Amino acid sequence: MSDAVVLAADIAAGHDGDAELVVTVRYENGVVGVVALDSDSAFDIMQSCGAASSADLVGRPWHEVLKGV
Amino acid sequence: MFDILIKNGMVIDGVGSKAVLSDVGIKDGKILAIGENLKDGGRQVLDAAGLVVSPGFIDPHTHFDAQLLWDGAAKPALEHGVTSIIPGNCSLSLAPLKAEDRKTLIGMFQQIEELPPAAFTDAFEWTWETFSGYRAAIEGTLSVNVAPLVGHSVIRLWVMGADAQQRAARPEEISAMQDLLRECLNAGAVGLSTSFVDVDENARPVPSRFAQFQELDALCAVLGEFGRMLQIVPEFYDTDITIARIDQLAELSLKHKIPTTLSPVFDNRQSPNNVPRTLARIDEQMARGARVWPQMQTRPIDISFSLLRPSLFFARLPSWVKILRLPVTERISALRDPVTADKLVADAGEDGGERLMGRLIVRGGGEAPEHLVGRTLGDIAAERGEVPARALITLSLENDLEIAFLAANGGHDSTDRIGPMLANPLVHIGASDGGAHLTSFSTYGDTGYLFSEFVRKSGALTLEHAVQKITSEPAEIWGLKDRGILKTGYAADVVIFDPLTIDRGIERPVFDMPGGGMRYVRDSIGVDTVVVNGQIAWAKGAYTNAQTGQICELA
Repeated sequence: MSDAVVLAADIAAGHDGDAELVVTVRYENGVVGVVALDSDSAFDIMQSCGAASSADLVGRPWHEVLKGV
Repeated sequence: MFDILIKNGMVIDGVGSKAVLSDVGIKDGKILAIGENLKDGGRQVLDAAGLVVSPGFIDPHTHFDAQLLWDGAAKPALEHGVTSIIPGNCSLSLAPLKAEDRKTLIGMFQQIEELPPAAFTDAFEWTWETFSGYRAAIEGTLSVNVAPLVGHSVIRLWVMGADAQQRAARPEEISAMQDLLRECLNAGAVGLSTSFVDVDENARPVPSRFAQFQELDALCAVLGEFGRMLQIVPEFYDTDITIARIDQLAELSLKHKIPTTLSPVFDNRQSPNNVPRTLARIDEQMARGARVWPQMQTRPIDISFSLLRPSLFFARLPSWVKILRLPVTERISALRDPVTADKLVADAGEDGGERLMGRLIVRGGGEAPEHLVGRTLGDIAAERGEVPARALITLSLENDLEIAFLAANGGHDSTDRIGPMLANPLVHIGASDGGAHLTSFSTYGDTGYLFSEFVRKSGALTLEHAVQKITSEPAEIWGLKDRGILKTGYAADVVIFDPLTIDRGIERPVFDMPGGGMRYVRDSIGVDTVVVNGQIAWAKGAYTNAQTGQICELA
């Protein structure tokens, strides 16, 4: 079974009018889910895993990305 | 003789019946008669020919708790036809609250609802600690009806003090919270609100988030004694967790025989399965007999930002991300550097950022020059002989980064998708957040938008259905006695509006908050007259002196 992986990272409008990052994840069991991250969390994970842009998150192991939160 | 006789209107009763040409007679704050050609006459006669006469609208998710202390009309909500509001959502209310905890609560309100500090220090005197004391402080000067929730976070603060934001409650503390909640419900609270999401001004979870399930269960047992509402803010950023919360709410609803509601629930194209999955679970739990009402707003969500604070709007542009994450002084220096600015512009695309930034709108309310407000960046850039990305940088620098831009309709914006969701009998139209997010966007006019976008434009709802969704349905869900229907004996909360024009106005900044604080508002369009408990509270574009709003009696 492969690790959970980021399938997509899109910018969306959050409830409070801030932009947020909607991350689509395929989990180990094959299920695909989405998680919305606020700007602080999203910038933190991008910095933590060396992603220069949100597109750089795609293909990365989700558990690696999560370490930045 | 009636106090008010409304003649020749298309009467929509609020329960879904087809509109009928009829008169409405009002006396002593109640609907006294509805029928053709009422003969008794009236001290005031309103000709509603060509207009709809409907029950007053009910807004079930607001944060007007503080504003009601200096503005009993909850302006501009009332002029949009809203005659009853429910404040105290998201675990936060202004009572019960000990004097020593006021500063703590003010911080939370400022963080979550963007209320300016002066709203709590200059605009009113804190004359109360108890819930009944708060009720007494607002009663008598209300122009709208109010059904206040009591916040779980303040109940915790009262019982546990600073520990409320540090740990789970002990059995004796839970028991004390139960007693306090019971006291609030006896004083007229419509229910309890809690949050699993919000943080205070120091990014610490609000007190309600430290509660273990047994605490919430115990409080719901008290709600069950009264049959009152539990409102929650679920982890709406994750559909799976939201569904888990729906299951939890269903268990609490069934066990304690209480209604529950969650807000917000909203749609966007980046997570298109969110609402369908949420509603599917609601459907299953409702079929079991649980009462779990998801609240959905009508208005689209706009993205707003300035270069003063890093925004994910730029998350696809590596060079922008790098610069915007610098400390402010270094950020300004970098933006002033011609080489860096050239690179930013180049990275915005071969079109100079036209596609990504050209439709951004300059917002008012900050330092933006008046002549630029409301115009698109593309338009301004063309006038300045710049490309949009360059104009965004130079405009920001010219205004010390205190200029805000708006990307309209960034989410919850697909009318074709949202119309059927709003029409769904499981969906509770609400989540306006009226009175909150003051400096981010306008939380007023969602009802007008319901009619303009989803009745007239898309036809997702009939006029009668739309009225029902914001009148009798919320009244029934929340247990507001004798409201939400145009019926003999019911409260005379009435809106007279033009079905062909009712809408929300453009968003505009005003500086009418205590201390000159700014907020965004929208004026009403097409609302002719608003009657609250039998007296005209707003008519022909102006507020009256009527203060006939009440604390709602509960069924």
